[in-house]
Amino acid sequence: MSMTKPVKRKSRWPAWARRGLMENIATALIALGFLMLFQPFALSLYTYSFITMLAGTVMFIIVSKFPE
Amino acid sequence: MSLTTAHSVVAPSANSKRIAGAIIIAYALISIVPLLWIFATSFKTPPDSIAYPPKILFQPSLEGYCNLFTTRTRQTPEYINSLGPATTFCDETTRKRNMVIAGPSNFLPRFVNSLIIAFGSTFCAVFLGTLSAYGFSRFKVPLADDLLFFILSTRFMPPIAVAIPIYLMYRELGLSDTALGMILLYTAVNVSLAVWLLKGFIDEIPREYEEAAMIDGYTRLQAFWRTVLPQATTGIAATAIFCLIFAWNEYAFAALLTSGTAQTAPPFIPTIIGEGGQDWPAVAAGTTIFLVPILVFTILLRKQLLRGITFGAVRK
Amino acid sequence: MTARPVPPLARDAVQINSIVETIQVTEVGLTMLNRTADSVARATPEPLARKVRGISDKGLAWLFISPTILLLLAINIFPLFWAIYLSFTNYRANRPGEVVKNLGFANYQRILGDKDIWIAMQTTAHFVFWTILLQTVIGFTLAWLIDRKFRGHAFWTTIILVPMMLSPAVVGNFWRFLYEPQIGLFAYAISFVTGIPATHIEMLSNVSLAPWSIVIVDTWMWTPYVMLICLAGLRSIPEYIYEAAEVDRASNWRQFWSITLPMALPFIMLAVLFRGIENFKMFDMVNLLTGGGPGSTTEVASITLKRQAFESWRTGYSSAFAIILFVAVFGLANIYVKALNKVKQR
Repeated sequence: MSMTKPVKRKSRWPAWARRGLMENIATALIALGFLMLFQPFALSLYTYSFITMLAGTVMFIIVSKFPE
Repeated sequence: MSLTTAHSVVAPSANSKRIAGAIIIAYALISIVPLLWIFATSFKTPPDSIAYPPKILFQPSLEGYCNLFTTRTRQTPEYINSLGPATTFCDETTRKRNMVIAGPSNFLPRFVNSLIIAFGSTFCAVFLGTLSAYGFSRFKVPLADDLLFFILSTRFMPPIAVAIPIYLMYRELGLSDTALGMILLYTAVNVSLAVWLLKGFIDEIPREYEEAAMIDGYTRLQAFWRTVLPQATTGIAATAIFCLIFAWNEYAFAALLTSGTAQTAPPFIPTIIGEGGQDWPAVAAGTTIFLVPILVFTILLRKQLLRGITFGAVRK
Repeated sequence: MTARPVPPLARDAVQINSIVETIQVTEVGLTMLNRTADSVARATPEPLARKVRGISDKGLAWLFISPTILLLLAINIFPLFWAIYLSFTNYRANRPGEVVKNLGFANYQRILGDKDIWIAMQTTAHFVFWTILLQTVIGFTLAWLIDRKFRGHAFWTTIILVPMMLSPAVVGNFWRFLYEPQIGLFAYAISFVTGIPATHIEMLSNVSLAPWSIVIVDTWMWTPYVMLICLAGLRSIPEYIYEAAEVDRASNWRQFWSITLPMALPFIMLAVLFRGIENFKMFDMVNLLTGGGPGSTTEVASITLKRQAFESWRTGYSSAFAIILFVAVFGLANIYVKALNKVKQR
């Protein structure tokens, strides 16, 4: 056989979009949002904290449906 | 660390045990002091309670309990002398302070409210929780994980955030400041815990019992009633106590949504005031009466505590 | 099994399925099967049971689950959507007759640009950070010590657990008495130890001490919670790992850092996340202890929200703030449930 790639799993889901990885990114986003909400340094960071947390949460809900 | 003898972490040495024990006992004693202080203050007279330095030894008195259950008015000594002899102990102590009992305080009705709302909501939450937990445990429910997460997530809502629309909703429905409204609300908050905890308990009961019962000619419902429920009694009892403790202790909703007839004890106790500020012995007396049931429950529950606070995830 | 549509006698197909499963699986089923004959004779179905018998398992599942879901939709989700709607308006609950204007995202823009609310968030951050740090360090240490299983450890553990079961409001209220500068036990104990006059220890009215007064009460109350979960984590570590480490002559210090701590970490995370969520929305204890004061030095997010919603009656504005807090909590709750499932697999 002239297969150069290793045999893939049954699912054709792209490897980069696996649940574990994407969930960690979403978690990091939520954590980042929290840091922005809590930090005492820049008002503008606080302003954008909400949208960061919202994005992280929505992403978390979506990627938790992805296969492992 | 000691290099002597057969030392291992698996079996800590006698010395390290002794040190650990001493530290734990010291922490336990310090952390229990505020509670002992509440208990002690409830048996002090008002002057004793605000003495400096704080009195550790004192002549016990039931004045705090008298003040908790009554409202009093200040009167002139002539008026008090013109009254007949004091009939009760509370009468006597009140008169010594140049006051007469004007009537019962609101503590008893508030305490009864607490009982009604806590027991009512616990019953509803456990009833609904048992049914749902059985459903999730035994049947293939589509999107079960999402539904379970949805149920749990409602518990995390900040109470004040929920209170704003609930306040408006109850105002429209005529449920504000009613026991029914509070029971519904606490049931909704508690049912999430009940479902998660009971699902864990029911998952542990082997399916074979019901299946055998069904072969015996029972329907699914009969099998649930006669085989699963009796075996889940411990779990149901533990869940009920957790729900009870939550409803009993809850303050935020009670303070924002009730003001009179349906007010529970937690928002009421801080409002107990005497002349010139808080009547601390009375507050302590109310707090003591309020806390005793919880202490009893904590001791009953100590084996299930871990399970309860982790929504059934950690089972020991 | 092939002639599925016509259920023989009173049994339906579902029961046949379960019979098949049962016979495959169970011993109990087999012994019970022997008794089937006489129980069939006994089980003349009552009228009610006959009606119920018609319900399939799927129907029963929904019958059991839907009341809970409906209750939660009515008491939690409907209000949530109402709050989302209100957050785009200038509605005021104390003026029901007034015309409600749609403001779009103006409420959100105002809150997220408001310096006072930003400061309230930093107050919350101070409270959350220090309570979690103290509770984790003290709680883990206590759990680690209790795990030595000295004599009487079960009794003392129960004593330590008591504060966390009590009502934060009622006990928080009593702490006001303990914190009283002169007559309070706390101030007296501190002055006894440090020699500072008791009248100078004004925990609740001193601007720099007040934020710590709420940290102390919360730590006192919830350290047992963290301790209990850490204890479960420590007890979940199998002994053979330590035995293997002993064979390898790993030092105690090394065993702690490379076995104890990493193995207990998922449990610590669980406790930290839960306390984080709870303290982020902390209301009852702080409201009774300081009420946000002096000034606004202990005004955590929930207190600000309550002041806006139930004292200033800016319902639309406070709904927007409530949604912001909700999203934050919901994000953390997602992570919490993930941690919960991780621990469950252990």
